[in-house]
Amino acid sequence: MSGPDLLVLHALRCVGTAGLTRLAATTGLGEPDVESELIDLAVAGLVTRDAEFGVWSLTGPGRAAGVKRITDELDSAAARPAVIAAFDGFLVLNPELLDLCTAWQIRSVDGVTIANDHGDPSYDTRVLDRFADFHGRATVVCTDLSAALPRFGRYRIRLAEALERTRAGDLAELADSTSSYHVVWAELHEDLLVTLGIPR
Amino acid sequence: MRWMRQLSAEVEETAEVVGGKAHGLVVLHRLGLPVPAAFVVTTEACRAFLRDGRLPDGLEDELAAAITGFDVVSVRSGAAVSMPGMMNTILDVKLTSADVARSAVESVFSSWKAPRARTYRELHDIPHDLGTAVIVQKMVFGDHDEHSGTGVAFSRDPNTGAHVPFGDVLFGHRGEDVVSGRSQPFPLRALADREPLVWTGLLDALSRAEAHYRDACHVEFTYQSGELWLLQVRPGGFTGAAAVRVATELAEEGVIDQREALLRVSPHHLQHVRTPRIAPEATVAFRGLGACPGVATGRVAITADAAVRMAADGPVVLVRPETSPHDMRGLAAATGIVTARGGPASHAAVVARAMGKPAVVGVGELVLSEGTLVTIDGTSGEVVLGEPRVVMSTAEAHLHRLLHWADEVSGDHSERDEVHRLRAAHAVLRR
Repeated sequence: MSGPDLLVLHALRCVGTAGLTRLAATTGLGEPDVESELIDLAVAGLVTRDAEFGVWSLTGPGRAAGVKRITDELDSAAARPAVIAAFDGFLVLNPELLDLCTAWQIRSVDGVTIANDHGDPSYDTRVLDRFADFHGRATVVCTDLSAALPRFGRYRIRLAEALERTRAGDLAELADSTSSYHVVWAELHEDLLVTLGIPR
Repeated sequence: MRWMRQLSAEVEETAEVVGGKAHGLVVLHRLGLPVPAAFVVTTEACRAFLRDGRLPDGLEDELAAAITGFDVVSVRSGAAVSMPGMMNTILDVKLTSADVARSAVESVFSSWKAPRARTYRELHDIPHDLGTAVIVQKMVFGDHDEHSGTGVAFSRDPNTGAHVPFGDVLFGHRGEDVVSGRSQPFPLRALADREPLVWTGLLDALSRAEAHYRDACHVEFTYQSGELWLLQVRPGGFTGAAAVRVATELAEEGVIDQREALLRVSPHHLQHVRTPRIAPEATVAFRGLGACPGVATGRVAITADAAVRMAADGPVVLVRPETSPHDMRGLAAATGIVTARGGPASHAAVVARAMGKPAVVGVGELVLSEGTLVTIDGTSGEVVLGEPRVVMSTAEAHLHRLLHWADEVSGDHSERDEVHRLRAAHAVLRR
């Protein structure tokens, strides 16, 4: 099981420079815990704080430590083949997710692309139904991933929660907010690339 | 043949049977324009495949007979309704045996069932049992020699609707080289000097196609060793100010009547008529796809951190190869977004729309140093150096004339907003 210090270190590799709120959302830790880990990591010279913007980022040694510890974790769990297989599954799903987010934001009426103002419940229902179907298939990939490396379990929870918030009427939670399904999905994408050491 | 048609001017079936793309090729044949030899496997064969899980009896024999004389072909999907990018396309298929043709056709038919294609159909109200046709066409090569190339040509400018040919040409390369960033396209006009015969042929083709469809059109073309070939034709598709201008001018040219011009402009086009745009006289430095409409001017930042830092001193345009979670702070700080890769359904496009920021995606390789002042147009996908003039509408005068016709049709000359004037005319015309 990845320790909280590794979760925070790895989160900075996946999302880049970030503040406490975002790192808490990504790691599933509380903000005070994230801050406590960051302070320890800073003492070790692995992260640094930008006082002007109140954000944290990795140092060179922090990046190197992240690479080593994540690779060690992957290999000691013998999880590489399973993560590679799940990444293949992810790549099949990725264009469809982007199609769905796009359909949630804009739609074609009389051959004209217009913003989806969410004034047509039947259209929104249709997109949400497809999203639910997609989510079922995404969950399979997430479940395989968390079986290989438990820290990936966080994504399944965050994705499911974003979909649930949307269903409850918060329409920005699918593609538009900073906690949206799309944002979580993109973080999962980045995590897979970082974990497997695949450059963009 | 039961399941296939040789493409020629004599094919009489509709797009429902041969698909929209093949139907366009039949039109080009009828107009006497050059189309590489091709045959199409019908949507009916696809429906049989989807129903039975195998190609229908007899198709294999028909394929074996049809491929005689073909060596290297492309195998493309083409449904009655356009589903861009959803199904398989296979290029450079060497037809060494009927078996190769059969498995290529099966692969395209099977791609109809891919979950992504299924989702697309649900979202766009396309029946799942419609099926796609498959076009098997002799390949022509834009990278054959120095007198070869490929491109897209519009009969009118899709950004403004102006009656001038518009498009891109790639000299000595294939179309997919643009997508991969291996080669940069030139404005279509560059053909006039480099390949005058191809240019004249293309203008002739555009004008014949426009006369046939009585609408602005665009074609995909390749020329090989100086010989022009047309690979696809499609009418319409213009939006906003360009749609208003084309409909109005076609009526004034006598191609369509005023009633038809009115019906061709959806009230939804009017929503886009006054989106700010870069004025047409500006010199375009780079061109991509507009992903979120609007104009943004700012200094180029090439990393998210730089965007955040520079934004304190004035507006910033974030320029990235593509975007990732690392860019979220930069995207939030920027006033506009440009990416080298990706399309209208990419991470950058989704985030730009979420944030309501003008965005241009898929520009290809672009060389812009940090701090350069640029202006981007998220409707047309244009990137211009400096701060060009921005206009609120490129078709104000045309809209004025079109709405005057609308009032004549409805008989209502009272003060109302534009959408109501157009809707009133539509109501009368659709009675």
